[in-house]
Amino acid sequence: MNRQIKALGVVILGCYLALFIKLNQVQVLDADKYNDRPENTRQQVRDFNHPRGNIVSADGVLLARSDEQKGELQFQRVYPQGDLFAHITGYYSFALGSTGVERFYNDELTGRTPALRIRRIKGMFNEPTAEGELVLTVSSPLQQAIKDALGDSEGAVAVIEPSTGSILAMYSNPTFDPNAISSNDLDQAAKVKGLLDAAPSKPLLARTFQERFFPGSTFKIVTAAAGLESGKVTPDQPVYPTETSYTPPGTTRAIRNFDGSNCGGALFEILQRSCNAAFARMAAETLGPEPMIATAEAAGFNSEVPLDLPRPAESRYPTDFGALISRPEATAPIYENSAKLAQTGIGQNDVAATPLQMAMVAGAVANGGSVMRPHVMKEVRARDGAVVDTYKPAEWKRFTTPENAETLRSAMVGVVENGTASILQTPGLTIGAKTGTAQLGTDPPRSHAWMVAFAGPAGQPPSIAIAVIVQDVPGNSGATGGRIAGPIAHRIIQAALGL
Amino acid sequence: MTAVAFEDPSVALRDEARRRTARRRRTTELGLLILAAMVVCGTYALASLGRTASLPANILWFLAIILGLGLVSHIAVRRLAPLADPLLLPLALLLNGLGYVFIARLNNALAGKQAGWSAVSVIGFVIILVALKDIRVLERYRYTAGLVGIVLLVLPLVPVIGKSINGSRIWVRLGPIGFQPGEIAKVALAIFLAGYLVERRELLGVANFKLGPMTIPDPKHFAPVLMAVGISLIVVVFERDLGSALLFFILFLVMMWVATGRATYVAVGMTLFAAAAYFAWTAFDHVQTRVTVWIDPWVDPTGKGYQIIQATYALAWGGLTGTGPGLGVAGRIPKDETDFIFAVIGEELGLLGSTAIICAFLLLAGSGLRVSRRSADPFMSLLAVGLTSLLAFQAFIIVAGVIRLLPLTGVTLPFVSYGGSSLVANYLLLALLIRISDQVESHDEMPVAQR
Repeated sequence: MNRQIKALGVVILGCYLALFIKLNQVQVLDADKYNDRPENTRQQVRDFNHPRGNIVSADGVLLARSDEQKGELQFQRVYPQGDLFAHITGYYSFALGSTGVERFYNDELTGRTPALRIRRIKGMFNEPTAEGELVLTVSSPLQQAIKDALGDSEGAVAVIEPSTGSILAMYSNPTFDPNAISSNDLDQAAKVKGLLDAAPSKPLLARTFQERFFPGSTFKIVTAAAGLESGKVTPDQPVYPTETSYTPPGTTRAIRNFDGSNCGGALFEILQRSCNAAFARMAAETLGPEPMIATAEAAGFNSEVPLDLPRPAESRYPTDFGALISRPEATAPIYENSAKLAQTGIGQNDVAATPLQMAMVAGAVANGGSVMRPHVMKEVRARDGAVVDTYKPAEWKRFTTPENAETLRSAMVGVVENGTASILQTPGLTIGAKTGTAQLGTDPPRSHAWMVAFAGPAGQPPSIAIAVIVQDVPGNSGATGGRIAGPIAHRIIQAALGL
Repeated sequence: MTAVAFEDPSVALRDEARRRTARRRRTTELGLLILAAMVVCGTYALASLGRTASLPANILWFLAIILGLGLVSHIAVRRLAPLADPLLLPLALLLNGLGYVFIARLNNALAGKQAGWSAVSVIGFVIILVALKDIRVLERYRYTAGLVGIVLLVLPLVPVIGKSINGSRIWVRLGPIGFQPGEIAKVALAIFLAGYLVERRELLGVANFKLGPMTIPDPKHFAPVLMAVGISLIVVVFERDLGSALLFFILFLVMMWVATGRATYVAVGMTLFAAAAYFAWTAFDHVQTRVTVWIDPWVDPTGKGYQIIQATYALAWGGLTGTGPGLGVAGRIPKDETDFIFAVIGEELGLLGSTAIICAFLLLAGSGLRVSRRSADPFMSLLAVGLTSLLAFQAFIIVAGVIRLLPLTGVTLPFVSYGGSSLVANYLLLALLIRISDQVESHDEMPVAQR
């Protein structure tokens, strides 16, 4: 029997060896995978029993802090600025999860990054936790100025610094109060969240980067850039016919100028007066699909935005215009859907952009054609105030060459000096802009009013780029964008540049 | 015969050598017991600190009881089985003590009961050592043991006294006391199998019965074994106790194979097992559920997969060194103080702690098999194999289930899990192993007739 007993020993040893190997897999090798499962709340339980780092604006205003509580969860998040920064900071709830900076920079705020961990080991005996303080790029007075300027209007405003991609302010109305959702009274928090989810105006949605709109005439900046990049459009050529409407190939539906006006000319002229017929003709006849698609994508369309906030929406430009129909000698090739192409040239049809994307287009024009990665993080500080991480600006896309960017910059300054955005004229500032009126319907006439601009002290490179949209306003004339979004943009530019 | 006692010098020498061995072994045992007690008390202190909330004062008394019981059992072994293996008792008490710490940490109310059951178990342990001076007595009562085993297994199916808890009908309730007779039945079945197989192993090893193209041992020799095991399997299937069914099957297979040395038994056994498993899978929803949830618990994370997922999360959260005793997220795993206590230990003591627990069982198994190998008496040897296999495979089945190495079949983790019947049965098993070990070392194992 001894032989069998020895063999039995080996079998038992083998069984236990299998246990040991599997234990290593569950407890060490794959442990992080299990810890990160969304329904596994162990990390949250721990996080709610430790203080969490503050979130501070660039000018030092406290946007979020951790308050000690009595109860099962020892800490609760408090947002002293109420609803002003809700779409940037997000909320932080035990039961409902987190959004915004709270979600994206969770590791920094809880002290789980390597840089913060090392600091904790250094101060092990007097620092029980290593939570990091997050300093944002956003400015508190500018954010407040946007809120005041928008008033009760539904809309969104994004302000960025063209040379770095830093988001200086980002606000949309309606917004919400993150304090209510982050309450440790979980039933109450769930009730509030339920009401916000059900509200038709979608207050939880950050319209600046999570919602897409027709860009309307503001997209003519992209069309103009495509023309310059292709070499087929220069400040002098071609000179587009003065006409009230243009009927693209393959359709009988004409694209009309606003209010039936007579309008045409070379690039600067048609941008200043925002001629629909001329830009539609540029897209369909001068350029064709490839330059249009290439330049739209070089601006950031059809790409996931590398923003340091969760779930940014992707701006869209169509990539399919059907089969080739003919190759006329005088114009670009004609496609099955050249009519659609003509409409995209004026920001209609399937073109959709976030306000942040349009601010980045204006920013690229002001920044020598380079689109910088947008971001809200400025730096991370340890408990003792030492800076452990700083955001390093990086180019995301190259929109146009510096030469073409300069041409576009002059053209947009012309729109303010002699065109539809004259409302923005401010002594001492150089401002370039483009208005937009994205038509939603004609009965009754309604549209989104846009203003996209860059601005800076006269004689210096522009220091801000801005996109303003006021949603669903009455009227659809060419002046609607400038008339409604213009004064709001004007106020914000003045606030941003300290006037 | 004259009643003059001659002092045989060789006998005197042998007695002196035995006394020395006994002293050495008991000193080792005491040292290991003190070590185990220190580990248990240290873990206990850390668990109390970890839970900041104050523990009721009487919990300390229960801890004293557990440690006192260690001393009592040590003295009993010193007096009654001085030559026994010195590892068995300290390992059992270490597991019992650690189990107690985690039960106390999870549920204060159960801690008192577990301390009580530990006391009852140690009393049972001592009674066995006092009453059973010669393990071979059991060989004579092999059929009685088999019958007792089967009766104990059937008991929960008897109306009025039988009770169904958590879908398994394995409980018997008499007045205020509820217990699981199946736990004792497994020891009785091991005794029966050892006795029966030793008697018939020559015959079982010879193939002289033609069955079609195969030559097999005469069915009349192993029919009773098949019957006994068949009945126990049917009972556990009706009682929906898959873990015990698996354990009995392994016990049967191991003992048949060790007794006869014929691999055919293992092959036939495995085939039977595959057939039975397939049948169970098609016939019972709860078996299908276990398998589905084993393959991917996340198909139903809040329902059927909940328990195993929570166990996985607990183990993963423990990582290499654990959260520390008392600092884990307790109370999320259903049955965490019984079948799933290993997951709680894994969370709070980490991979180091969970590995220590499986090492303790591996050492127990090794000591048991060493006892078995040193025995010249086939019954004692085979019984030691059976008892050791029960411990080793029961621990393997539940740990493998909890860590999702195998589909989950609920059994207790011997000595560690909360539960009176399990604790009493395992101390009973331990007493038998210690008795065999002592007898093996004193070479007092020749059949009476040949002495």
